[in-house]
Amino acid sequence: MGVLNNSLPDIGPVRAVDSAIGWGRKSSIWPMTFGIACCAIEMMAVYAATFDLDRFGAGVPRATPRQSDLIIVPGTVNAKMAVRVKRLYDQMSEPRYVIAMGACVCGGGPYVKWGYNTVKGVHKIIPVDIFVPGCPPRPEALMDGILKLREKVGRNQVFARQAQTAADMDGRYAAAK
Amino acid sequence: MNETDIHSKLAGAVVSGVGALDESAKDPFVVVDPGSLVPAVTFLKNDADCRMEMLNCVTAVEREDCIEVVYHLSSVTHRHSLTLKTRVERPAGGTHESWIPEVPSVAALYASADWHEREQWDLLGVRFTDHPDHRRILLPEEWIGHPLRKDYVYPHEHGGMPLDLDAVPLYERDEATPSEPAAPRPSGTPLVQPPNPNSDRPDAGGVAPADSDGDLRSIKPGSNDGGGH
Repeated sequence: MGVLNNSLPDIGPVRAVDSAIGWGRKSSIWPMTFGIACCAIEMMAVYAATFDLDRFGAGVPRATPRQSDLIIVPGTVNAKMAVRVKRLYDQMSEPRYVIAMGACVCGGGPYVKWGYNTVKGVHKIIPVDIFVPGCPPRPEALMDGILKLREKVGRNQVFARQAQTAADMDGRYAAAK
Repeated sequence: MNETDIHSKLAGAVVSGVGALDESAKDPFVVVDPGSLVPAVTFLKNDADCRMEMLNCVTAVEREDCIEVVYHLSSVTHRHSLTLKTRVERPAGGTHESWIPEVPSVAALYASADWHEREQWDLLGVRFTDHPDHRRILLPEEWIGHPLRKDYVYPHEHGGMPLDLDAVPLYERDEATPSEPAAPRPSGTPLVQPPNPNSDRPDAGGVAPADSDGDLRSIKPGSNDGGGH
């Protein structure tokens, strides 16, 4: 979208175009095929038939970061893995979103004090949109995180200027729901 | 056979270096000298009455006066087991940096010992002489030090990735203004990687510490020194 990004006034027609784009984006969040540790097992359950993430358009894990919009980081990020996580995130094209799944990824978890090798939260490396705590989180919790991310993606402003006031944001929250 | 019988056979067969059976522990064990370890294990494996086909695990314990390596041997044929220990005394002032205990490898007898011994090298810094592939197994190869030693000092970062709880996230660091030069590591932090005889990789550099204050977590909040690796 280039030069027009966040440059038009925040008025009805522009907002309508933005919400159409947001609807398209939030309805086809493609996560990356990526699992680190035990949280990945719960994540696989979310993809599978019982929980069926595809109901929300997010059930098509892509095998490459270049096609994905979302990276779910499910499991302890240690020093060896952190380099790879950073590289994968850098390879994703924008807009890109990050869900930190599980206690280790949200802040170190059980390794917070004596984990000589653990990054104390993946937000030390890449910016995180949604934190899903739990050890590991139930599949419902991850789904809730993805629904929260959908809300966030849906109210993203593409062309309109960023909201300046809280009342502005409230209006956008209501429109996104 | 129970442990007593196995121990009496072992003590009769291996000439020296086999200690008494300690039955006070829930799992009775025999302490053997490092020099007698390979003959003792060879005997336990090959003797028809012992027939210890399986080496369940190799682990190590750091104590104040020694590091002991523990071998759990068991026999599927005879359904008995025995715990062997071998101890390397800590020399005076033996620290993480200055002291690497050496124990003969049993990887030639048991394939399972290969990775288990590599793990003990990686985490506790026990060198197994004559090991076929003496490398780290879990941590990155360029890692410095052996984390499960009591006097290990925690790194602030590795490969550019912050490991501190209070580290500033990478994407919030101001790249435009050059940060002040990295503070020298606290005393005791530079851990010298002991040279690996089986590796042609150049040794990791490091400065010998002036003294060791024993404070494992002497990490200043917000400090982010990138050196040391």
